[in-house]
Formats: sequence, C-alpha cells, structure tokens
Amino acid sequence: MAVMNIREAINATLHSEMERDSDIILLGEDVVGGAGTAGGQESIGGIWGTSGGLFAKFGPDRVLDTPISESAIIGAAAGAALAGKRPVAELMFADFIGVSLDQLWNQMGKFRYMFGGKTKCPAVVRMIYGAGMNAAAQHSQSVYSLMTAMPGLKIVLPTTPADAKGLLTEALRGDDPVMFFEHKALYGVKGEVPDGEHRQRFGEARMVREGGDVTIVTCGRMVNFSEKACDKLAGDGIGVDLIDLRTTSPLDEEAILDSVEMTGRLVVVDESPPRCSLASDIAATVAAKAFTSLKAPPIMVTAPHTPVPFARELERAWLPSPQKIEDAVRQVLGFR
Amino acid sequence: MDGQSNPREAKGNGMEPTDLIGAYRRMQTIRMFEERLHDEIKTGEIPGFTHLYCGQEAAAVGVCDHLSVDDYIVSTHRGHGHCIAKGCDVKAMMKEIYGRADGLCKGRGGSMHIADLSVGMLGANGIVGAGAPQAVGAAIAAKLNGKGRIGLAFSGDGACNQGTTFEALNLAVVLKVPAVFVFENNHYSEHTGVAYAVGTSGDIASRAEAFGMKAWRANGSDYFDTYKVMGELLDYVRAGNGPAAIELDTERFYGHFEGDPQRYRGPGELDRIRTERDALVSFRTRVVEAQILGSTELDSVDSEVAQLIEEAVAEARAAPPPDPASVTDDVYVEY
Amino acid sequence: MARLKPFTMPKWGIEMSEGTIAEWLVQENAPFAKGALLTLIETDKITNEVEAEADGRFVRILAKEGEAYPVGALLAVLSDGEATGDEIDALIAGFRQADTSFTGDDEGGATPPAVQTAPAPPPPAIPDGLAISPAARERLVSAGLDPNAIAGSGRDGRITAQDVDQAARPAVDTALVGAFPPTPDSKVFASPMARRLSMIHSVSLEGLSGTGPRGRVRKVDVLAEVSRTKPAPPPAQAAVAQPAPAAASGVEVIPMSSMRKTIAKRLAESKSTIPHFYVRRRVRADRLLALRAAVQGQRPSVNDYLIKAAALALMEVPQVNIQVHGNAIHRFEHADIAVAVATEKGLLTPIITSADRMSVADISAAMAGLAQRARSNRLKPEEISGGSFSLSNLGGFGVEQFDAIINPPQGAILAVGTARPEPIADEGAFRIVPVFHLSLSCDHRAIDGADAGKFMQALANLIEAPELLD
Repeated sequence: MAVMNIREAINATLHSEMERDSDIILLGEDVVGGAGTAGGQESIGGIWGTSGGLFAKFGPDRVLDTPISESAIIGAAAGAALAGKRPVAELMFADFIGVSLDQLWNQMGKFRYMFGGKTKCPAVVRMIYGAGMNAAAQHSQSVYSLMTAMPGLKIVLPTTPADAKGLLTEALRGDDPVMFFEHKALYGVKGEVPDGEHRQRFGEARMVREGGDVTIVTCGRMVNFSEKACDKLAGDGIGVDLIDLRTTSPLDEEAILDSVEMTGRLVVVDESPPRCSLASDIAATVAAKAFTSLKAPPIMVTAPHTPVPFARELERAWLPSPQKIEDAVRQVLGFR
Repeated sequence: MDGQSNPREAKGNGMEPTDLIGAYRRMQTIRMFEERLHDEIKTGEIPGFTHLYCGQEAAAVGVCDHLSVDDYIVSTHRGHGHCIAKGCDVKAMMKEIYGRADGLCKGRGGSMHIADLSVGMLGANGIVGAGAPQAVGAAIAAKLNGKGRIGLAFSGDGACNQGTTFEALNLAVVLKVPAVFVFENNHYSEHTGVAYAVGTSGDIASRAEAFGMKAWRANGSDYFDTYKVMGELLDYVRAGNGPAAIELDTERFYGHFEGDPQRYRGPGELDRIRTERDALVSFRTRVVEAQILGSTELDSVDSEVAQLIEEAVAEARAAPPPDPASVTDDVYVEY
Repeated sequence: MARLKPFTMPKWGIEMSEGTIAEWLVQENAPFAKGALLTLIETDKITNEVEAEADGRFVRILAKEGEAYPVGALLAVLSDGEATGDEIDALIAGFRQADTSFTGDDEGGATPPAVQTAPAPPPPAIPDGLAISPAARERLVSAGLDPNAIAGSGRDGRITAQDVDQAARPAVDTALVGAFPPTPDSKVFASPMARRLSMIHSVSLEGLSGTGPRGRVRKVDVLAEVSRTKPAPPPAQAAVAQPAPAAASGVEVIPMSSMRKTIAKRLAESKSTIPHFYVRRRVRADRLLALRAAVQGQRPSVNDYLIKAAALALMEVPQVNIQVHGNAIHRFEHADIAVAVATEKGLLTPIITSADRMSVADISAAMAGLAQRARSNRLKPEEISGGSFSLSNLGGFGVEQFDAIINPPQGAILAVGTARPEPIADEGAFRIVPVFHLSLSCDHRAIDGADAGKFMQALANLIEAPELLD
C-alpha cells in the first residue's frame, strides 16, 4: 500500500490505465497547458495537477489540449466513445456543464437507450466541483444532484485516495458514461492506496462509521464533515452509521434502508441546494420504503435554495458544516 | 499592427485635453487598482480568485470612452478594467472584491461577478463565452429603445472559440442589431497560447468577418489607436448598419489568475511586454512630447489616483462583512 | 527610511492551502535584483520558484526550510534598503494574517438557533397573520401553547402541526445504542448490513451466493446462512388435530394426550356454561414500543409490559380481579396473572403471582423461566394453579385480533393481537402509528359491562403512557 493524496491517486491511475489500454485518450482545457506558448506544452501539467506527465508519456494523439469549448469537448468525447475509444474529458469546473449540457444530457446519457441498446458510450467526464474556496456562484457548485437525475449517466464521487483509484479504474473499465466528480478541497486528502489492480464497484456504499442511533447518508466532501460531527457525537455516546454513497447513480439503496431499519433516524447531508436534490431523493426513498422503521422525520442538512455566495461569511453560512450536522443528529434524536 | 495614431488626430476627433486627462486617470485607476490587488491578494485576505486586467487598460478605456451610461456592456472574468472604464464606483468595487456587505454586489458576487446597471455595466462573468449572446440581447433592447444606443461584449481570445460566441455573431448579423463584439486578444486563453487555440492562426477579426459582419483591428495597448478605430466602428454601427467586431491586440501583464506561476511564459517575456507595450507609458510619452499635457498634470493625476486606491483598500479592509443571515436574500425579486 | 513589505506564502491555485519552504535562495540582508530567485516552495501539486518583483533584500527571514506554512503566512520581511530592528519588529507585530482556510473545514457555520419552547403562564392569543397551518392552529389552541415560543419549520417559519406536537410533548430521553466497532472490509460484494451480521454471527461471507443485484450478498442471505448452520429452537406452536370419526386415507389419527383432554374439557365447559361477553378497544402502541426499543441490554418482551399494565389496571378496577366459585366472588388482593404459553403438548397458563408488585424486568425474567419450564414440561403445580386473570397474546403470529375463552374459575381473560400500523385521530389529525387490538372476555355472572369498560380504560391509559409501568 502506498500513501498518496487524491490528486496523486488520480494521476497515477490515469498513467497506469492509459498504459494498459491504448484506447484511452484524455482531452480538456489546459490538461496539458502551455500549448502554443514560449514555455511549451506541459509547462503546467494541468491546472489541478492531475494530468502531469501524461503528455510526455502518451503524446499529442492521446493527450489533447483543447480551446475553451466545453460543448465541443464533451461532444467530442461522446463521439469518440461511440466510435470505440475511451475518452476521459475534463471540465475544469463542474459548473461548466452549463455550457455543455446538451452533449451530456441529451446525447451521452441517451445514446444507448435511444439506439435500442445497440451502442455504448464509455466516456468518463472528470469534473471539479464544490464550494468552500470563495470561488463564487459559477465556480463552486455541486451539480451532482442535477446529474443524478439524468438517466443513462453514472455519478461517482470519490472521497479517499483508495476510492479515487478504485472508482476511476472501474469507470475506465466499464462501458457506460461516467461523471467523475473531484472535490477541490479533497485533492490533498492523503490515504493508503492498494497496489496493483484495484477496482471499486459502483452502487456499493462505504460504511465510514458504525453505530446504532442515527444513520447519516452523504457523499463527497460532506463525508469528511460528517466524520468530524460523528467524532464529537461519539463523545456523548451517540453512535452513527455514516454511509458514504460513493456513487449516487447507481444508488446503494439497500445499505441505506438496512441501516435506517435499525436506527430509525435519518440525517442526509448534501452540499447542493435542497430542492429536487440528492438529499430530498434519499429522504423520499426512506420515507417511502422504511416508514414503519422511522422514529423521527428525516432531516436534510443542505445548502439553502440560493446560488453560492462569494464573501467568506456568506459562504460559511451557506455550506453545511460539522456543527450543522451535529445539531441535526441531536435534533433527530430529540424528536418526541 | 502599426497602430501608432497621432494624439493630435485624436484631439481632432473631439478629444479635448480634459478628456485626455480623464482617459489617463481611468487607465491609471485600472493600473493602480490591479497592481494594488496583486499585492493585497498575497496576504490571503481577499477571498476566492482574481483575474487582473493590468496591461489591457487602453482597450477598456479606448472603447468605453465612446460609450454613455445608456450603452450596455457585458464583461468577462477579467472584468475590473471594463467596470472602471464604464464608470463603476472604485471604492464599492474594492469592497466587493474584499467580500464586504456594502460592496457593489453586497459581497455576493466578488471579483468575477461585478455588475452595475446604473452605468450600463451588465456584469462580469465567470463563464467564458457567456457574454456575447447577452450583448446581442442588449442590442435588441437598444434598437427597440431607438436612441442610437448599442450592446457591446468584451470577449477574450479564449471566448472566441466558444460556440456561444459563434452563435451570437451569427444572430447579431441575422437580426441586424447594433451589437459590438470587442475581442481583446492578449495571446493567452488561460494557460494556452492563442496560436494554438484559435485555428485561424490566431486571427479573430477575420473569423468575425466570416460571419458576415464588418471587422476592424487596432492596437489594444495604445489608447489613441483603439479610440480612433472604435470611433469609426461606432459611427458605422450607430448608423444602423448592424453589428461589427474589433480585435484589439494587447497584453496580459499578470497570470491567468493571481497565483498562476506562469511557467508558459518565455524568458524575459514579461519584461519585454512591460517595456514595449505599456499603454500608460506610451500615453504619457506622447501627450507630453506633443505638448498637449504636462508631466506635472499627469503626476498630480497619479498621486490623486494613488490616494483613491489607498482609501479604497483601507475602507474595504475596515468595512463590515455581510450578515450571514442575509445569505438567502435576493434570490428572487419576489418569492 | 526603508520601505518594508511582508513576504507571504503565495496562493498558487484556488485549492492551495499551504506550502513548504524547500529552500531559501538568498541570505538575510543580502541585496538582490528584480528577477532574482528568492525561494523554492513546494505544494502537493508543484514545486515553484518565487522571483523578486523588485530590487530589495530580506531584512528578516522568519520561515524555516522544510516547514509548511499556510497561504498568507508571513515568511520574511522585504525591504528596499537597510532597516532597523524596531521597524522590522513593528511590521511583524502589526502583520495581520487573513483567514485563508477552506470554508467549513473547522467548526464552520452553525445551525441558526431554534427558538426554545418555554411554558408560558397565560396562553397568548394567536396573532393575526401568523403563518400557521389550520391543523396546527387547532392544536395550538387546545394545548394552550404560546405561538411565539414555537419555531416554525415550514417555509418562511410557518408553523406546522408537527411543530406544535413537538412543543406540546415532553422531551424524550432517548436511550442510546452507541457506536459499534467498525466491521472489517471484505473483498466479497456484500451490503454493509450483511457484513455487520456476518461478524455478529461469525458466518463467513466467502462462498455465500448473493441474491441482490449483480450477485450482491444481502442481509437476508446472511440470515439464511445463520439459520441453516445454527438451527432455530423448535417451533412452539401446538399441533391441532382434526377430530376424525374414522381414519380416511391421507389423515393421521392422533389420540388426545391427557393434557389435551383436560384442556378440551375445561374450555368446553367454560364456553358452554359461562355467559361470555366481549369488550374491545384499540390502543395506540407507539409509545410503549418506543420505550421498549430504548431499553439497553436485555429487553423485556412487549407481552411483559402488557402483563404489568394489566396488573396495574386490575388494581385500579378490582371488580375484574376475581375468581367465580358458585355463588361467591373471590376478589384478589394482588394480580396473579395467568399467561397463555403454547407448548408442543398444548396450551399452558403459568402464573405470575403479584405481578402488580413486580417491575417489568422482573416479570420478564419470571416469564422467561416459566415459559422455559412450560416447554420442557417442568412446571410445578403451584405455578399453574390459581390466578385471578388471564392474558393471551397471539401478536407474535401476526394475529390482529381475537376473542379468548375464559380460563375458569377466573372472571376474565384479555386477548391481545399484533401492533399494526393504523391511522388514528391524534389531536385532530390522522397519524399512522402501531395499534393494539385488545379484547376482554368477561364472565357476566360476576362482571358487568361498566366494570369491563373501566378496566379497559385504565389499561389503555397505562399502555399509552408506558412510563407509568415502571
């Protein structure tokens, strides 16, 4: 087991998978960087540092720097995948799905169904998401809730370096389009990563903490926040089943229901706004399928129904926090 | 680009010395505003990320000096210069960038999302290429209002590769609206060179022409050239001939964003562009040589602007932060 | 005077939070020219040089090589000339490092405090225009609560019926289960609960065939394996034989045991000679079930609680706590409750003596012993004789409701079905909660309808306020 951070785990996985499979190509804005400049290509190695060394190793036919053209990037990935390649497209910020939405939603996600199951579109779209860095309304969003609602797309959110490797490998071996969400604030998270081949199935949640009093269902950076809340709650003897969904589509409904049937209390933590969100989806599923087990109404800890604000004080009020999660757990336990 | 117009010619176009002082003041305000941000950002006090306009001052001011508050502009992520040139309040902008409650957008938008409708500034934008279609819409409105006003989009060489921009260019021609597309070519789309990313060998004006509109070129690092060519362009557009485009060749003195290590720059590149293409230096040299303005006048503008920026930073640092409870305000007009 | 400036940790990229000084490339107080390389800084992404933006010198270097500093931290003091120690110290003392942490990483924003409900002496009138649902308004009035003391959870603080219910109910002291040791990960494709159960029951997941999607091992698969490898206790149901005049083919003839014959004789006599009448009532079970669920360690059965409830109700309504002997009614001082227990050989009714004086936990322990001895045929005679009342519970078989036959010479028997979720009217609203269907069979020779009704009322009150049981 090597210890590395999520950034390094993604980079290492891209290296090893591109070596293994010559059909994998990478494209996006500044994934190499420096094209057409005096400094030369790969002078920056990708603005997130996740694609370093790939251009030098695999060359310009497989590692493609693109102009700022998100719709064309995603559309090209869709076409290349239909034509038998395995493209990895990078959206520098997940918010830019706004520009490329047609290619994601009406094209990539629908090909197989529309074409009667005759095609497959094994494209991976890596997108960098999340708030917490005051990047304001158009560079901070958690659009996974929106994309989870789109049939045909698989939605993946790694929270550990091991899962980053396992889930990205699985994405690159599978034949469906995968939206691979990388949280800006998690790139530096370190952990052990299994050596050699490591695949993590989709639809298999990770039990981060175990306890019998409350179930917390969450994903992405909110797993990290929830762990902090769990540590504090454990000091008061409150045991939490903390479920990291890993993938929101497919959803590990079984892990959620099994846990809620035992605890009877649910807190859902979601970095996106509350309406038609991952949080409301999970709460509705539990209300519909575990109603008789519930001892209290499910509580959703989410951002408010607003865009992401810029100022520190506003963004802090906007984001869920370990404190808000802890409060929600105590509230759901106090229901009478 | 020859681009070295005579200041007297500019004067002949209606520029009086007071206007030239105003132009210099606006360019110097942009310069000092940005230079100061470059220093302040390093302390970490300013949240988020910031894209500086330094080096492109002549473009914003040379364009906006032709516009009134009733003309609309839409801007980019590198928008501080456009805001200042269009007349946004400098202190309120600084407060916005610091994320303060009485910032121009109440601390909600920050550097990338400054707007002030009262001066016809429809907003900076975090999405590359989002502005051009909005300028077409503003031009539709301006045409309907019938007062000879225009809608103008500042876009970079990066945005000229977005499908949204292509669609906007075509739509403006189809609708024959008074839309102006200003492409500031600073040679870098973020961290990628224009020679690579713009497939017409980096030529943006000819691309606009291919959509069926008239296009001009000017030296965007020279105030007088930009001002003169924009004058011709706007006479054409305001006469009801439909949209037009202009490519302004200019330079970005800093990185894509503050903190960009800029490894893509060649050796000595930054020194060279600062020496050869500094719009403030060339402006000063030429107006002084032509004896239109004196060094002392310009020096006193410099110290007034320095004072303004000093006050803007001090006031912004001292200004109260937004009330966290206001986070849900202003999502809708009524809800 | 020299112009001093702080030299701080740069922020290269929005996600950079700290950097490490790999090396200082200039000495303290050594002058350098614009463009000179000052230091090498490492981040988790890149190592990069920092160039001098102007001629100058470091008059004080604060940051140590090899150490990490947050973005914006003061690393050194820059100057355009020589500076005095006082000037430098003043700059360092006045340096204000901004908060550059990622939002929410630490304590983060807190939940806005909810308004605490407090009992207010005179219930104030509901202000005009208060955002409140119609049902909530009704409940607020009937509960006499102060609307200002209720934090509305609806849109724009609108008060819902649930908000009023919460304010009206006493705080619960939730018994906690606490944290579990983490279940070790396994390569087997299994649900988290399946993993947990496999640990609890020491069953290996390897080789189990999963019935979930894509062959995932589920909770039920582990439980099936548990019951396969560890057989459950024999079923406690009594076999019921059809009386058959002659042995038709396909029919097995089972002669009645002596115990069976006794049961048959006594119940036939009871049903044919005692004038039974039945009083039925629905009782909400949710609070009792919640109270039970909150018990740590060995939990009493639902029936144990019902025994205690019946015992206390009998104390309140002694007219039902009787035996009937000819023309005499024997009224008992304590509640000796006969509890129907199914055994392989047939029905037995061992007795919990003075159940009214026992705690539920004691009842539970006593019942466990009696039931075990009943099933192993080792009950002592005194444990099955007497009794002032009987209780029969078929809820464990999913039976919703039934009527029982009185166990003579007792005067009454209570029949209890399963707690089934049903809508009930709760302060003007429908709620769906588990509900018991109780049926009391009484000997009308000794007990009147009003007595039966009083008993059922007392019993219902106890079940619905189960904290009274202990």
